[in-house]
Amino acid sequence: MNTIATPEPFRFEDRTGLTPADLGRILDLALSSGGDFAEVFLEYRQSSSAHMEDDIIKDTSENMSLGLGIRVWSGETTGYGYTNDLSREKIERTARSAAAVSAGPAKMRALDLRESVVDDRLYRALAPAYLAAFETKIDLVRRAYAACQKADPAVKKVKASIQDLIQHVLVANSEGLLVRDSRPLLKLTCVGIAERGTLREYGYSGGGGRVGLEYFDRTLSPETIGIEAAREALDLLDACDAPAGEMPVVLAPGHAGVLIHEAVGHLLEADFTRKKTSVFWNKGGKRVGAPGVTIYDDPTISGSRGSYAVDDEGTIPQKTLLVEKGVIRGLLQDKLSAHLMNRPLTGHGRRQDYTDVPIPRMANTYIDRGEYDPEEILRSVKKGFYAERFTGGQVEDSGKFTFSVSSGWLIEDGRRTAPVKQATLIGSNVDILGKVEMVGSDLAFGLQTGTCSKEGQDVPVNDGCPTLKISAMTVGGRR
Amino acid sequence: MSCLGRDEDRALAERLVRHGRDCGADEIEVGIGEGVEFNVDIRLGRIENLAEAGSRYAGVRVIKDKKTAFGSSSDMSEEALRRLIGGAVRRAALAQADEFSGLADLSPTRIDDDVLDIFDPEIPALEARTKIELAMETERIALADKRITNSYGAGFGTHEVRSVLASSNGFSGVYEKTYASLSVGLQAGETDDLVEDFWYSSQIHFRDLETPEQVARKAVDRTVRQLHPRKIKTQRVPVIFEPFMTGSLLGFLFGCVSGTAVYQRSTFLADKLGQRIGNDKITVIDDGLLPRRIGTGPFDAEGVPSRRTIVVERGVLKNFLCNVYAARKLGLQTTGNADGGGVGPNNFYLEPGPHSPADIIRSCDRGLLLIRTLGHGLNGVTGDISRGAFGLWIENGEIVHPVSEITISGNLGELLQSVEMVGSDLEFRGSICGPTIKVAEMMIAGE
Repeated sequence: MNTIATPEPFRFEDRTGLTPADLGRILDLALSSGGDFAEVFLEYRQSSSAHMEDDIIKDTSENMSLGLGIRVWSGETTGYGYTNDLSREKIERTARSAAAVSAGPAKMRALDLRESVVDDRLYRALAPAYLAAFETKIDLVRRAYAACQKADPAVKKVKASIQDLIQHVLVANSEGLLVRDSRPLLKLTCVGIAERGTLREYGYSGGGGRVGLEYFDRTLSPETIGIEAAREALDLLDACDAPAGEMPVVLAPGHAGVLIHEAVGHLLEADFTRKKTSVFWNKGGKRVGAPGVTIYDDPTISGSRGSYAVDDEGTIPQKTLLVEKGVIRGLLQDKLSAHLMNRPLTGHGRRQDYTDVPIPRMANTYIDRGEYDPEEILRSVKKGFYAERFTGGQVEDSGKFTFSVSSGWLIEDGRRTAPVKQATLIGSNVDILGKVEMVGSDLAFGLQTGTCSKEGQDVPVNDGCPTLKISAMTVGGRR
Repeated sequence: MSCLGRDEDRALAERLVRHGRDCGADEIEVGIGEGVEFNVDIRLGRIENLAEAGSRYAGVRVIKDKKTAFGSSSDMSEEALRRLIGGAVRRAALAQADEFSGLADLSPTRIDDDVLDIFDPEIPALEARTKIELAMETERIALADKRITNSYGAGFGTHEVRSVLASSNGFSGVYEKTYASLSVGLQAGETDDLVEDFWYSSQIHFRDLETPEQVARKAVDRTVRQLHPRKIKTQRVPVIFEPFMTGSLLGFLFGCVSGTAVYQRSTFLADKLGQRIGNDKITVIDDGLLPRRIGTGPFDAEGVPSRRTIVVERGVLKNFLCNVYAARKLGLQTTGNADGGGVGPNNFYLEPGPHSPADIIRSCDRGLLLIRTLGHGLNGVTGDISRGAFGLWIENGEIVHPVSEITISGNLGELLQSVEMVGSDLEFRGSICGPTIKVAEMMIAGE
């Protein structure tokens, strides 16, 4: 019998010598110049990686960081300081520099800390990667590499890597909250480069999440990852240039979730509404999309890359309804925005690491399944573009967004005909959401390897969607 | 900068190198990085965030029997660092012997940091009040323009860093560098017709920064010129890249001439050394020795002295940019571009040409002035480019209206061959930069 292991709670006390009483004193010091709220974020992260290229395991790496961030609010102003020198003197200096956002006598003292225990079942793993022997992880890399290399003689170069991370966090604040979370993260990726004559193409695949190593036995094998990377590169060797112009677009299930992430998710992060920079800021309760469009962000999906048991401000996250049948119903809140907007918390305050202030972020964002059979969606298009694989996207607050398609197909008379490569899709979100004509019944999530960047902070995320038809969108191909 | 001085940091790195040798490493390199930063964000006249912090960390590379292991730690106690190194020496056995692995050979050249002038003593001495006021003033000037409807905020930041490196080949060095930046982001227009842009100035020396007035005016102009865009038809036209956009194109080129990409065959330029890859208007340089520039330093992450490398000379690809590993894989010499495990730019720029930006616009009967891009869409393996774009439409040599919701696509190899004019307006705003350029034709997808 296998035993189920959730990550061991990390004993910050042992590692740093900081007791709950010390944390209380730090919070009081942070409030000593008149702040309204103070918080300590302690983070210990340990990561390792191994890389294979040119048929050898080229190197391994182990990285450790331990640090502390202190945040103080005074009205709408945030003071922040961080240090990785956990001497009493440095911590006190950090608390004072965060406290310097206000200048006056202390208005309050921190409440006594009471630890709450979080439900961390969403990380349950048989074989946590951070406890496994390095050799076991290296073996997975070799298997993905070999599968990619053997997939076809045209595959000329392969790279495969594994990365695992355990991030232990502790949040204590002046409201008496004390909570900790230990978040595993695992990623196996493979790149294949295929060559034919002077043509050269690139393929990528990967998998993982907040899972244990058993994921690669049960859910997705290293061989599948290797073969998919080879397959993408090989398919592209036969692909022609994408078309250019406005046309109907069908988005493949899973990977195309990045469209929802860019077109909707970011603009429903509460800070952009609070600052009125988002095109959605005054559209709460209003229709912004077709009736088939229902969107959630759910940080509680077991094993998913974007999930967490508690956010980086100590809030238990909730599955959050963002858009219901085309109408905006919710925002992704962090503590500051929820406080200033007088709205309930949703548990979406995240930060890259202890050096950063938390901000509202997505976790696992998806458009919910609809009623159409994917085949029926395809058949409804006489001439258009089928977007299959994606490399990412970007949005600005006005709602204009792009996302990059690495490969797709031409649709002619309801069938996928010629494979095409590289195109950027561009649109403005209100316009595109209104043009979502059909939503498929085949909801799927993308590769468990995605990272989202906002204000210089990277956090792991995942996105999902079923097959979608957009009646007209600008496709930026070369012909 | 910290309680420890530069000599102590260097002595620590040297002791750790000796410890690594004692543990059985054939070769070892220890880097210590230390930084102090200050950042203030102002929004709508008030401080939004005020952050002040310091950090220190160490990174090691160990080679034993031609097998490599890396490690890093933010726990800077000497005991923890010795453990890190001992662990890395043992872990090296997990990798496979790689004949190309190894540290740089020790160079007799030593570059004098004083000549490089990359530490401005004025920056650590700036008062918090002065820094906050600079950001406040920048936003205030920008918001005084009635066409601006919202602010993303203005920011002022400084960063002082110290880099220490010691290795078992006998190298030991340390240098200190400062950075300062001033920025503002703005929005104009009404709810469903919003436009945004920003401007910033970033320099090694405080006195080299643009003034709040200059940053604010530039941000305002860049934002309001996009108001009331029109859609355009799908077509092929000449495209003029503003310097900021040329910089982005050069960033893509950098990735394609990086020795790492070359030996991994993930660049379309892999087999093109010595060949013509652009027309004779294209000369691209990487120079780590330019005084007072963002990409300048006395040595790279492997202790190799900085140098000036001609990458492309009048269209001919002369050099790939390499760290020691990529150079050995390719049978070349390192160019001093090692950057923590990979290859990074020093000051990587396109040499300016004879034309003023105004002349370049006047030369264009009908075309697009590219001012911003959105999204990724760069494929180094093929050189293909496909990005969302914002621009100004040009008719008969005059800017007539902004355009939005278009994409531009083309191929870097083809663009380099079709550059028709190169501007005289090169400014060193970051470590990768270029002047205005005009290319013969790109595909614009619109309606």
